[in-house]
Amino acid sequence: MRLNAENIKGMLLRYIVAIVILAALFTLPFWGGRYIVMLVMLMGMYITLGHMWNLLAGYSGLTSLGQQMYIGVGGYTLAVASTNLGLPLVVGLIMGGIVSVIIAVGLSYLLLRMKGMYFAIATWMFAEAMLLIVATVSFLGKGQGLFITEARKLVTAQIYYFSIVLVVITTIVIVVLLRSKLGLGLFAIRDNDSASATSGVPQFKSKLYCMIISSFITGVCGGVFYMSQVWVQPYASFSISWTVAAVFIVVIGGIGTIAGPIVGGIIYVFLSQYLSTLSQIGSLNMVILGVIAVAVILVAPKGIVGTVQEKFGFEILSARRWLGKSLAKVPVAPAPASEAERES
Amino acid sequence: MDAILQSIIQGLLLGGLYAAVGVGMSMIFGIVQITNLAHGDFLVLASFVSLSVMGAMGWNPFLSLIIVIPVMFVIGYIVQVTMLNKVLSRGAEPPLLVTFGFSIIIQNLLLYFFTANAQKLSTPLLLKSIAISANIRIPVMYLIACLVGVAVIIILGFYMRNTYQGKAIRATSDDNEAAQLMGVNIKRTYGIAMGISMMTAGVTGVMIGVLFNFYPSSGSTYLIIAFAVVVIGGIGSINGTLVAGFIFGLAQVVGGQILGATYQQLIGYIVLLIMLIVRPQGLFSK
Repeated sequence: MRLNAENIKGMLLRYIVAIVILAALFTLPFWGGRYIVMLVMLMGMYITLGHMWNLLAGYSGLTSLGQQMYIGVGGYTLAVASTNLGLPLVVGLIMGGIVSVIIAVGLSYLLLRMKGMYFAIATWMFAEAMLLIVATVSFLGKGQGLFITEARKLVTAQIYYFSIVLVVITTIVIVVLLRSKLGLGLFAIRDNDSASATSGVPQFKSKLYCMIISSFITGVCGGVFYMSQVWVQPYASFSISWTVAAVFIVVIGGIGTIAGPIVGGIIYVFLSQYLSTLSQIGSLNMVILGVIAVAVILVAPKGIVGTVQEKFGFEILSARRWLGKSLAKVPVAPAPASEAERES
Repeated sequence: MDAILQSIIQGLLLGGLYAAVGVGMSMIFGIVQITNLAHGDFLVLASFVSLSVMGAMGWNPFLSLIIVIPVMFVIGYIVQVTMLNKVLSRGAEPPLLVTFGFSIIIQNLLLYFFTANAQKLSTPLLLKSIAISANIRIPVMYLIACLVGVAVIIILGFYMRNTYQGKAIRATSDDNEAAQLMGVNIKRTYGIAMGISMMTAGVTGVMIGVLFNFYPSSGSTYLIIAFAVVVIGGIGSINGTLVAGFIFGLAQVVGGQILGATYQQLIGYIVLLIMLIVRPQGLFSK
C-alpha cells in the first residue's frame, strides 16, 4: 500500500469514522437513555473479554478455557483492595490485573509446555481449582463472597466510562500488538509452529507476553464487571460461562480477526438481553448460544467478520502492517520478504 | 489404621471405574484425534437417560443399560458423522470448540428438563457390603462398579485386537491414508469409534449414577477424571489407562480420607498437576 491520493483519502475516512464513533461513545451518557448506557457498558466488557480470548486462541494457538479465573481474581482483588485495604477503586482494578498476571506467569511455565487439549483442559482445571480454593477461604467470604462497598457510591454512567476506556485501550493494544514484530511472530507460530521456531521466532517469550497481556486485561475487566455488580461471589465469578461467552463472541464474530470480537460482543449482549426477556426460558438461553456457536463453526468457520472480509476483500481493522508508510519514510530499503508476502 | 485400609480398598475399587471413564476419551483422542470436552457431559447424559428409563419402565439401573448403551452408541455415531467429521480437516481447534459447544448444550438441556436438583439411580445394593474384619468392609456396589469398569476395558481391548472393525479402527489410527487405500471407510470408522466411546460413557455413567449423586453440571468433574486417566496412563495405552485409574482413584479417596472430603476434588487436581510436571507423556506412552 503506497501513499497515493486514494490511500490518503481512505485513511482520512477511517480516522473520521473512528473519531465519530469515539465521540459518540464518550458522550453517550449525556444523550442516551439509561438502558442504552447499560447495554453499551456491557458490550465494552464483553468485547474486552472476547479480544483477550481471541489474542490467545485466535492468534497464539492457545485455546484457553480458563478465562474465568482472571475474571474471578480481578473481582476478588478489587473487593479486598477497596473494602479491606481501603484503597481507591482504580487502584483495586489495576491490582486485580497485576494479581492475574502473577498467577498467569506462575502457571505459564507449566501451561506453555502443553499443546492443544493439554493446554485447554489444564487452564480449565486451574480455574476450577482456584474456585475450590476461593470458596473455602473464610477471609474471602467462602461461598458467600464479598461486597465491594465502595462501588455502591458509583452510578451506572461512571462505571460506563471505566468500561469504555477499557475497551478502547484494549482495542488499541490489540491493533498495535498485532502490527508489531511480536504480532508477526504470533501469526507465524499459529500458522506453523515448528517452522516459525526454526526461523527464530521466540516461541516461549511470544506466548508468555500474550498470556501476560490477556491475564492483565481480563483481570481488570473482571474488576470492572464486579464494580457494576457490587458483590463478587465464587460460583458466578469463576463460572465457565465466562469462557463460554468469550468463545461465543469470538466464534460468531470471526476468530483471528480484530473486528470479530467487536461484532460478536455486540451480538452477544443484544442476544442475551433479548433471551433474558423471554419468560420460562431458563437455562435454554445457554443452549441457544451453544447451538448458534456450533452451527457457525460448522457452516461459516470464519465467523461474520471473516466471511465478510473474504467476500468483499476489505478489512475494518487490519492486523497487517502498513508497509506503505515505512516505505515512504525509507524509500530505498527493500521490504523484508516475509512482510511483502503478508501484504500480497 | 483400619480407616486407611478401608479407604485404600474403596479407592482401588473406584479406580477400576475411573479407568473406564477415561478409556473412551483416550480412545477418541488416539484414533480420531479429537479432544472430546463433552465426554463428562455425555457420561452424565447417560445417567439421566438411565434415570428416565428407570422412571418410565420401573426397571433397576442395571437393566436400564439395555436401553442406555444403544442410545449412547447412536448419539455418538450421529454426532461424529454429521458434525465432527466435517471439521476434522480444519486443525485441532474447531473440533475442540464444537465439543465444548456440546458440553454447554447438554449441560443446560439437562438443567432445563431435570432442574439443578441432585439425582441418584437408586438400588438396594448400594447399602450392602461384605465384611472382611470388624472394621473393614467391601461395599458391594463399589465392587460391582470396579468389575464392570475392568470388564469394559477388557472387552474393548479384545474388540480392538480380534474383530475386523476393531482392526480397521486401529489401522485408521496408525495410518489414515493407507487404511483408506485398503478399503476402510474412514468417516464411518470414526463414527463407530465415537459410538463405542459413548457406549463406555453410557456404562460408566450408570455406575457413577448409582454410586454418587449427580447434577446436570457434574460433567466437568468427570471430564477432569477422564483427562487425568488419559494423562497418567499415556494416550492410546489401554493397560496404562487401567493402572492410571487405580492410581487416581486411590489418590482421591485416600487423600480425601486424610485431609477431609471437601479436598477430595482438589487432591485429584494436584495429582494431575504433579503428573503434568514430572511426566507429561504419561506412564505407559508408546
